[in-house]
Amino acid sequence: MARNYPRLESGAELTRLVIEHYTQALGTGRSRPVAWVTSGAPVELLRAMDIVAVYPENYAAICASQGAVPLCEAAEALGYSRDLCSYARISLGAAAAPQVAPFAGLGRPDLLIACNNICGTVVKWFQALARQFDVPLFVLDTPFLPDDTIAPHALAYVAGQLEDLIRWLERAAGRRLNRARLDEALALSNEAVALWRDIRHLCQARPSPLSAPDLFVTMAAIVLLRGTPEAIAFYRQLLSEAAQRIREGVSAIDGERFRLVWDNIAIWPRIYHFFSQFARRGACFVADTYTGAWDVEIEPGEPLESLARTYLGIFLNRSLAYRAERLAGLIRDYGCDGFVMHSNRSCKPFSLGQAAARRLVAASANVPGLLFEADMCDTRAYAEEPIANRVQAFLEALEGRRP
Amino acid sequence: MSAYLGVDIGSRTVKVILLDGEGRILARGLATAGHDGPAVAARLVAKVCAEAGIAASQVGATVATGYGRGRYAAADAESSEITCHARGARYLVPDARTVIDIGGQDSKVIRLDGAGRVLDFVMNDRCAAGTGRFLEVMADAMGLPVSELAALHARAERPASVSSTCTVFAESEVISHLARGVAPADIVAGLHAAIASRVFALAERVGLEPVLTCTGGVARNAGFVSALSSAARMPIVVAEDAQFAGALGAALLALARQVERR
Repeated sequence: MARNYPRLESGAELTRLVIEHYTQALGTGRSRPVAWVTSGAPVELLRAMDIVAVYPENYAAICASQGAVPLCEAAEALGYSRDLCSYARISLGAAAAPQVAPFAGLGRPDLLIACNNICGTVVKWFQALARQFDVPLFVLDTPFLPDDTIAPHALAYVAGQLEDLIRWLERAAGRRLNRARLDEALALSNEAVALWRDIRHLCQARPSPLSAPDLFVTMAAIVLLRGTPEAIAFYRQLLSEAAQRIREGVSAIDGERFRLVWDNIAIWPRIYHFFSQFARRGACFVADTYTGAWDVEIEPGEPLESLARTYLGIFLNRSLAYRAERLAGLIRDYGCDGFVMHSNRSCKPFSLGQAAARRLVAASANVPGLLFEADMCDTRAYAEEPIANRVQAFLEALEGRRP
Repeated sequence: MSAYLGVDIGSRTVKVILLDGEGRILARGLATAGHDGPAVAARLVAKVCAEAGIAASQVGATVATGYGRGRYAAADAESSEITCHARGARYLVPDARTVIDIGGQDSKVIRLDGAGRVLDFVMNDRCAAGTGRFLEVMADAMGLPVSELAALHARAERPASVSSTCTVFAESEVISHLARGVAPADIVAGLHAAIASRVFALAERVGLEPVLTCTGGVARNAGFVSALSSAARMPIVVAEDAQFAGALGAALLALARQVERR
């Protein structure tokens, strides 16, 4: 299906950055240690230590955009359940069968760092990787925040682990952490986060200059390059492109009539195909809870305590009530007519409780919400006809609410 | 005289409704969809029109719905089953606020506002359990025609437990019940209760508000409707033409298109 979105000029630069990133990660004869990390790991410490950070989750999404069922099956053949997160299956499948994986696999890590602020799966997944590659693993344990407050003992617990992590990294890298470079990495990270926030805020314009698929693609820089000058340069370019679109009246989709909020991770292998069903009928996703999860500034103060606070407080480590309120807030701030929740078979923390959240948000924001089942990577869990059916019915219901 | 056609090409059956310009039902038709629903629909439309004495040129507009809606060439427009069932159910039961439609391969629950607009809806997830097809498979396993399920249900004394609503596993449960000599009536009542509880769980996601009506082919099965009514602790109104609700809604949309154009 043709994409009915105007192409982003900044897209070419992003492609270059992503290729450069993976070239560095996979480069032979590399001089810097490579750490595979989870998306919620405190990458600023690695930047300060000159350790290359590689994200198996991002790699899995890239694999999925090219069709990753063979990699899922490779993991399943090893005995991993089909109910396991597809990022984990793709990563383990690519490690077992690099010959069928994009870039001939993700190479080898020197170190592994798993932070369980995004889910519990990452711990077992990274343990499996540690066994497979026979490399050391650091697990950063971040207690869940059931009432959205960070208790002093939780803060001390995580900050203490960050001290341990620094010593662990110092041993692995054979050099001491330079605190000035950590401050620099934190500042670079915050600048990129602020730009990313500004870019997302521009979507409050009517019509919106960007839509969810644009954000899902361009978020690669906030994930892969947070804490580097490259991320800042890229987001400056994207911000100015989006601002220019607003000045010139260029919209993300043709004829925006409905504004929607998206909840959960994108459906990578069907990203344009899926959103085209909405775009064709003038429905634009102007905000989402997923790319917003990287809108996390590191507060000023003692660096390790600030890092602990930030990585404890990320979106998925918080209560359902908080997440529902955040979704309702997006609906209000972006003037939305409804919301769509992807019940993502892979991502249990994101998906569990969505049925309840849907009711809460629909009642508090007084707009309809659609909940449908699919998977972020595994196309075997994407049922074309039933999904198209639900989408059409939802859009017809939105139409019916028009005065 | 102008007439308006609604064609519901479902996964198991095709339904056709012909309305006059005042929205009165002129004729209806039902056929098994088989492997080529749109072709079956075209023949059924010709038959229904002939019976009602309506020539093709008199048909003001046609709207298609159901799984085959996108492949019905003669349609002026297509619409989702949610929209059509909501409209059709509202025509049949004017004060309906909740519609439970059990079709061949999916079940849906639709909440309506006072004006009949769709407030919310939910459909079963990627599994045919809790649908008409489930009952067909079970009836087949028991060597019964589907039409006899309601009569058997009425004779049940101690409904058997059917724990799984997976069509494949439930079929083995039914077979082992039969092997142990459980009365077919009790098995049927157990099956109805199993589907009813599944559909009720689905309905709870959007909330049940009276008046509750049931549409789709399974609405004709009084045994199931009574099991669902017990699960929902609410009476259920079933209209005579409940199976035609989707086609009726489509025909009403066809009529509305015409009114708008005038």
